Amino acid sequence: MQMMLVFNRLSRRAFFGITLLIQCFLVQCFWVRGNLFAQNSTNVGCVQAGQGFAGEQLWGKVIATHCLKCHRSGGDAKDSRLVFRATGLETVEDQQGIITSNLRTLALLAKVEENGKSILLQKPLGELNHGGEQIFESQNKAYQLLEAFVSNVAHAGEIRSSLFDEPSGSFFRDVEMLSPQRLLRKATLSLAGRLPQDQELLRVAEGDDQAMIGVLNEVMLEDAFFDRLREGFNDVFLTQGVDGNPDSTVLSYEHFEKTRLWYQQYDLSHIEDENERRQAGYRLANEYRAALLDEPMRLIEYIVRNDRPFTEIVTADYIMVSPYTARGYGVYEEVREQFRDPDDPFDFIPVKLQALKGRNAKEDQDSATGYYPHAGILSTFQYLSRYPTTETNRNRLRARMYFLHFLGIDVLELAARGSDAAAATEQYEVPTMQAAECVVCHQTLDPIAGLFQDYWRFDRNFAIYGKRHEGWFEDMFHAGYEGEQIPPEDRWRALQWLGERTVRDPRFAIAMTEHAYFLLTGRRPLSPPKDLDDPLFDSRYKAWRELRCETERIARQLVENDFNFKQAIAQWVVSDFYRADSMALASEDEYRLVELDDLGVVRMLSPEQLERKILAVFGRSWGKLTEQTAMLYGGIDSKEVTERASDPGGAMGAIQRTLSNDVACRNVAYDFSRPASERLLFPHIETEVLPGVSVEWDQAIRMTISQLHWLILGREDSPDSEEVGRTFRLFSEIIQDAKAAHAIDPREAWSCRQGLLAEVPDPHYTVRSWRAVVTYLLRQEEFLYE
Amino acid sequence: MNKSEFARRLFFKRCAAAGLGFATPLDARVRVDASEKQDLPAYDGPYYIVFNASGGWDTTYLMDPKGVGGINRLYEEGDILTQGEHRFAPTEKTREGGISNEAFFSEFGQELLVFNGLDYSVNNHAPCSRYMATGKLDSLAYPTFAALVAACKGQSCPLSFLTFGNYSATGNLVAMSRVPYLPSLKRIANADAMDGNPRSPYHDDFAISRIERAIDERRNARRQLNLLPRQERAENMLYAAQVNSKALARVTPHIPDNLPKQRLAQQAEIALTSFKAGVCVSANLSIGQFDSHANNDQDQMRLIPEFLQGIANVLHRAEELGIRDQLVVIAQSEMGRTPDYNNGNGKDHWSIGSIMFLGPGIKGGRVLGQTDEKQFALPVDPASMKIDSENGIRIRPEHIHESLREFAGIAQHPASLEFSLEVKTKEKLRGLWS
Repeated sequence: MQMMLVFNRLSRRAFFGITLLIQCFLVQCFWVRGNLFAQNSTNVGCVQAGQGFAGEQLWGKVIATHCLKCHRSGGDAKDSRLVFRATGLETVEDQQGIITSNLRTLALLAKVEENGKSILLQKPLGELNHGGEQIFESQNKAYQLLEAFVSNVAHAGEIRSSLFDEPSGSFFRDVEMLSPQRLLRKATLSLAGRLPQDQELLRVAEGDDQAMIGVLNEVMLEDAFFDRLREGFNDVFLTQGVDGNPDSTVLSYEHFEKTRLWYQQYDLSHIEDENERRQAGYRLANEYRAALLDEPMRLIEYIVRNDRPFTEIVTADYIMVSPYTARGYGVYEEVREQFRDPDDPFDFIPVKLQALKGRNAKEDQDSATGYYPHAGILSTFQYLSRYPTTETNRNRLRARMYFLHFLGIDVLELAARGSDAAAATEQYEVPTMQAAECVVCHQTLDPIAGLFQDYWRFDRNFAIYGKRHEGWFEDMFHAGYEGEQIPPEDRWRALQWLGERTVRDPRFAIAMTEHAYFLLTGRRPLSPPKDLDDPLFDSRYKAWRELRCETERIARQLVENDFNFKQAIAQWVVSDFYRADSMALASEDEYRLVELDDLGVVRMLSPEQLERKILAVFGRSWGKLTEQTAMLYGGIDSKEVTERASDPGGAMGAIQRTLSNDVACRNVAYDFSRPASERLLFPHIETEVLPGVSVEWDQAIRMTISQLHWLILGREDSPDSEEVGRTFRLFSEIIQDAKAAHAIDPREAWSCRQGLLAEVPDPHYTVRSWRAVVTYLLRQEEFLYE
Repeated sequence: MNKSEFARRLFFKRCAAAGLGFATPLDARVRVDASEKQDLPAYDGPYYIVFNASGGWDTTYLMDPKGVGGINRLYEEGDILTQGEHRFAPTEKTREGGISNEAFFSEFGQELLVFNGLDYSVNNHAPCSRYMATGKLDSLAYPTFAALVAACKGQSCPLSFLTFGNYSATGNLVAMSRVPYLPSLKRIANADAMDGNPRSPYHDDFAISRIERAIDERRNARRQLNLLPRQERAENMLYAAQVNSKALARVTPHIPDNLPKQRLAQQAEIALTSFKAGVCVSANLSIGQFDSHANNDQDQMRLIPEFLQGIANVLHRAEELGIRDQLVVIAQSEMGRTPDYNNGNGKDHWSIGSIMFLGPGIKGGRVLGQTDEKQFALPVDPASMKIDSENGIRIRPEHIHESLREFAGIAQHPASLEFSLEVKTKEKLRGLWS
């Protein structure tokens, strides 16, 4: 009670300031030197709404997001008097206990004085040999707020009672959610590129989340889901972007000299025609190369398809090979019986490679088992080739990508500013081991880089695996993981050693859960806000916290479900973050709007997704969102262009208009040329049905529009709704215009009547009016986005 | 900034936005919107091109020569050349392709403003690229200068902000356009006609007119709905993209029959054609491979001349197109190279570098800032732009970007205020441009 009163005496704003001060003190090494773990660290923890303003402010905004990297076991400040216990994926109740304990520690330290002053007030000034040097100047507002904390909070005794007792409202209180049917449509289109079946819609309409998850589990058995899975994960790992011909830059000369170019000797003599034989040879090479690039994503597919623990992404002791790539590795004869179809270049099976043999024995790979030390994607030649190293980079790029891909931490995302980086470089013999601003990152990064040390060749065409002849660098921190050095006897399997530790790290589960979120939404989860002076800080923090809590919840379930990745996807789909659709009431509250700023999937479809959606709706894809047009439409090449466009520019707007015109042109008359029972767009209406003739016909037209709204837009508009009314007016006004015009051709436009299954006359202009309706619908956000 | 200050700022932004074609923002973010007009006015300048030497250029082989202390192996201090105030490294005899410093400074030195001794503060590619592009080190949300100026000056242009690489964040202010191949624009420029042929429209005029009207009506109706902010933003962006795309038809008459083969020249042609057509405000042009950790001199002698040739080509081509007097050029890199060579004859990352400017309103023939003989930055008095070792400050990207915003006349634009660089008044650079 005493502490609660103390907190109540502080204004809400002042408390933010205090937390900033504590943050700055506690996170000295973060602020001054780096932020290796500031982003998305599992240590951030999640104090659920309802646990109280004070607790969540102090813990979430300050200590967890910024301090724990240094002031925790294993951190840079692990030997200081202020060592917090990090949270992982504990239950909310357990996290509360840890937080309470940590805050008591902080309060106790605030009472410790030297020279008559709390050390909490001296260390941030760079006094008392503060490891993080000076954080603030004394006139800094943040420092003044820290003074307030020390005098008002730290001396007041008990903390526990005030931390978790202030309730907060539901984050989604004024957000309307998608109906189960619309949610399912969104999910099936996203995951499997198809519309939901009637039976599935019925099941979710009548059921609860478990019914939805049941349907999703079936959807996630379909091949199209695995196409999407590979595509989505390539957006993360970008292994399709290996430079050069993969038969040379994935399979190197040193170890696959005799097998990697097998296709050049492949017997195609049974093809008599020389041109056909040449074309077959090209196809053979292209499919082989495509299969090589595909292997890492096929590994992910294999894990998910077989409900294997997703931890295998870094622990699998096998790779995936197809009949073609098996030949490249020189293992085809050993495994050919295992292929379902030895002639299918994309029939993949798991295989364990032998340890690599060099052209001379000195280049042979060390192996205690005789096998290549596979460690999931980490040790694939595609991953190592996609993220190569150089003499001076020393595998740090690989270490950086490891943190990003498998622990969800972008080491360079928000680099810390040194007072003079150039001077530090000059001042120290080994800045990365001596200069404080460098050490903080390199102490964690370089040991990981060291674990890649035996993949030390720079010309990928020649070799990827190979030891550094002079031994690994002594002016780098020793190879290891989070303070644990790798034992010499494990060096030959260093990446396996890394994988084993990675999957035990709670950050791994969080990172994989965030990958699932990325797969579904096309964007990364929000980062915690940093600027406490931002008047919108509270709102941004709340938005981040809510999503973070959901991420942790799903990550916990992922762990509990033996890392079944499908379950993480299903959990995201049924979460409020995926369901959020609109606001129940108009809001003028800027702060609330900022809280909701990132809510809702609202994702512009990629070229590939858009093609799939057209296929799902019209039964055939457009086929034009490829190559340069795909790039123009915001696609990626996995090499230079690695991020998809999130918003359309003018060129993309033009493509959307072309698409809407052309897809309508190709499909409207075509659909009418089918027997009514086989039509996708117009099964219940004929071209003779005109508006304004009878109530029945108007109703039939409205019904058809309503169905088109569902089919194309995923909208549940009743025939008498305003939306259907607007489309009805478009249809009928065009017919009236045509009637008023002179010399209108009684047939569809020539291009739009090609390839019809039967003649479709258009004397009343209804076919072209329906085409205009479809064009109009295809231009809408509900079609072009998800 | 307290809440009342914030509210004032928000009110100001709303007022300003209303007059600038933005949708009235309901939240704190500036929203984008399309002009309601079908015939958008052509944007006629100024145009901005940001050249980026991706990977980190060696400024001692360009505009900040040393020739002492083993910094350069290809020349000595006595070989350093001058052109007015400019001092530059000799490269005529050592370059591989492109154009030499001698040729570049001889032709453009009078127009060129160089700032040496820029402190990037860190020395890793990702944060440095972000910092140099946006002026903000510790945020992923800030727009690049090119995106910001596009948003402020020509948001309704269909290709307002073009990018060919480098850090290209937009702050959700404007859409980023990538056009990998200029003729691809031909195919989509007339989107309402089959294969782009105006003689073969998909719809009769009255039908397409009805479609457009229905789209407008629906958009207006949806503006009355309680959309989530993200949804509202997306619908505005989409509508703007589709409406504004009609102006793309202006590009086709300017697409040349023969396209250049050099990588920078190809990017430049797309940008200049779009400028000329009045559909673009800014472009990021970029070439990579400057990260010369091995064989520094060999790489830099190939890349710097290529880079300079790219700039020269742009200026020549802009002259031909009649837009040179509206073209602002910024040439930068995300970092410099160390003063010493590593064991592989390469140079590693260095957090001190240079930047160059050229264009209308920029007084050329000048060199500001300085590095010492060991390539450390010297402090500058922001009021006089003279070296002041005692009271000067380290000039960092936020100082340059603040000045750029003022130079472009967008410093008080709502979008700029939304992404304030918070440069103290006493640290604002006076006389950088003239």
